[in-house]
Parts: sequence; structure tokens; C-alpha cells
Amino acid sequence: MIRSDRASAAALFALALVAGTPAFAHHSFAPYEPDVQVQFTGVVTKYQWTNPHVYIEMDIRSADGETKRWLIEGANPGILNRIGWKWNMIKVGDEISVIVSPLRNGDPAALLKAVRLPDGTIFGNGGPAGPARIKFDEESAQ
Amino acid sequence: MTTRQPRAARARRLTSALATIAAAAGALTVAAQEPVGIMGINGSWERYPNIASGLGSDSARVAPPAPGPIPDPPLKPQYIGEWRASAARAAELIQQGVPQPDSGSACLPQGMPGMMTAIFPMEVLVSPGQVTMIQEAFNQVRRVYLDEELPAVEDAEPRFSGHSAGRWEGETLVVETIGVKDYVRFRNVPHSMSMRIVERIRLVDRDYMENVLTVTDPEYLTAPWTWKWMYRRWPGYKLQEYVCEDNRYDPSLEYQQLRVEPAQ
Repeated sequence: MIRSDRASAAALFALALVAGTPAFAHHSFAPYEPDVQVQFTGVVTKYQWTNPHVYIEMDIRSADGETKRWLIEGANPGILNRIGWKWNMIKVGDEISVIVSPLRNGDPAALLKAVRLPDGTIFGNGGPAGPARIKFDEESAQ
Repeated sequence: MTTRQPRAARARRLTSALATIAAAAGALTVAAQEPVGIMGINGSWERYPNIASGLGSDSARVAPPAPGPIPDPPLKPQYIGEWRASAARAAELIQQGVPQPDSGSACLPQGMPGMMTAIFPMEVLVSPGQVTMIQEAFNQVRRVYLDEELPAVEDAEPRFSGHSAGRWEGETLVVETIGVKDYVRFRNVPHSMSMRIVERIRLVDRDYMENVLTVTDPEYLTAPWTWKWMYRRWPGYKLQEYVCEDNRYDPSLEYQQLRVEPAQ
């Protein structure tokens, strides 16, 4: 189940404008597409539980059969622990699905919105990263 | 039926009023049993109101009125224009997806007064002669020495969190801070080594604490800059470690670059 998110994107956007600087501990999420969310499924090649951000690297096969390594950016361990993640809940070799917003510049990196583990459990990425606006296995929002 | 409904409504109102009185009495009873006085600020706290999931307890409790927005700084005329322009520029760059690097993106601590925002939870430890404030964000620590003199401004070694001296005025902890490095920024407001921050920290009730901050700086500000932050008690919360160890944001590059090769 996707955990609910009480802060609206509009409120966060307003906050970013008012503050004039990134509103959260590390960097702004502005380089990521604000309105695009897509689902990827792939195999985890690295899961790094670090501040200021948690990173998942995964090999994702595109429709034409090409495999590309993507870097998926999570919130920080503190936020993720508070919404129910565990530092060891993802392992190298796991096949997972993610809902993400890719970088605007086309590089293969993306901001996590939700992750679905091999056992079907779904976790969000905390309020600052914003909620998933699509559901797993449904058509991607553009 | 028509006569019963008003009676039922009256009964409901009465029940509701009695429940309110009982709840208030209960709250007073509980409050009387809880630690009060200067030890009352001891413990774990989260920012109030919590602005996004994961930053705090995600509790639905809402009690005292939330503090209002932080006003713009009363910068001197020669600085206010540049400050406004830079805020507009920063907002525009965020819109374009190319945010400017800042201290956070460089993995540096926030320093004073920004650290007291408590973007992540905070722990307050009251001990004889000292109040220690620990922010989960960036593992930042402040030590407020009670009933001690601050160093002279020109002798205060510049630090991110400065030098802080405190005193209890009744049950309000009054903290004065000087010696904040002049490149530490809160809301991108410039300041000099003459900046002085006064905080008045007190419990507004058992579970809520307020911090009224007043910043003065004869070189940059025309008047004191004042705002209020609030915190909500988070019983039993254990602060987490925050060591900024993998900074993939390189401010020397025009665009945020995320490393995509696996680290060896």
C-alpha cells in the first residue's frame, strides 16, 4: 500500500519559493521532471543506505531489449526509517519495481516516488520527494 | 418528534460540554503529574507543524495555533534589493530545474539560526550549567552554557553554531548567540560578525515548546528580525545518525550531476 502523504505538492512548491533555497536537508529535487512519473522494473545492482540520500542502482531493460543502469534517488535514512523502511529491506539481485520521476536532462537517474519489493510490499519516499501519482502496473502518467 | 429533536440536541450539547470540561480537567491532572519547570524542555522534539511525511512523527495531533510565516528580513536599503533579486533568481532556477548550489547541497551544516528550524527531529538535554541541543539533521550540536558571559564579539571564534550563553527567566530559557561564521546563511540573508541572536524558549504546554528568535545586526539590519518556531514533544524518539557521506551534487558543474556509475 502506498503510504498517504499529507503535504500537497502545491504546498511544497510554495514553500520552496518562499524559502528561496532548498527546503530540505540536502539538495533540491528540482532537476527531476516535476510532472512525469513512470514505472520501471529491474534488478538491483547496488543499494546504498547513506546520508544525505539513499541510492538504488538498478539494471532496467527497455522495450527494445537494451539494458541500462539507472540511479534511483531516495530520501535520507531518517525519513525512510520514519515511514517504515529498513536499511536491509532491499538486496542486490532483488527484482523490484519503482515509480520515479526521471532527470529533466535525460541522464539515466530518477527521483523515487514509490518502490515495490519482491514480496509485493510498497513504500513511498517521504513527503519532501512527493507522492506517487500513478499506481504500479497501470499506464504511466506523462 | 419535533419536540424531541431539540431536546436531543440540547442533550448532545450538554454531553459535549461535559466531555470538554472532563477533558480539560483530565489534561490539568496529567499536566500536574508531568515534569514541569526547567526540566520540561528535556527530551525529543519534532518541528511543529510537521510539514511533510517522514520529517516527524506523522501524528495527527494538532493543538496550539501554528506560528505564522517568517517575515522578510529588515535589511538595510543597500542590501534588500539584492536579497530580493537573489531570492527571485533562486526561485526561477528551481522552476527551470537547475537549483543553485548552497551549503546544504555541499553537505555543510545549517548553523545558527537555521539549525533551530528542526527540519528533522531535535533532542534537548538539560544538565547542570548547560543545555545541549542536538539536531538529527547533519548531527548538529549546540551547547548553551548557563549563567556564563559570552566572549567579546571580536574574540569569538567563528563557528557554524556560534557561541551561546543562557539563563532561566522563570521557566523561559533565554539564549544569546554570537560568533556565527559570516558565510553561514539562513534564508540567504547576509550577516556580519556583529549578528546577535536572542532566543526565548519556553513550554506553551506540556507537549509544545516555542522559540521566539530575534536577530539583530547593526551592519545589515535596520531593526530586529523576529519570528517564532514551535516544536512538539515526541516521547521516546531516538535521534538517528546523520553523517553526510555521499554528496553527488557537484556545485562546480553547471547542472546537478548524479553519479551513475556504480561506486567501487
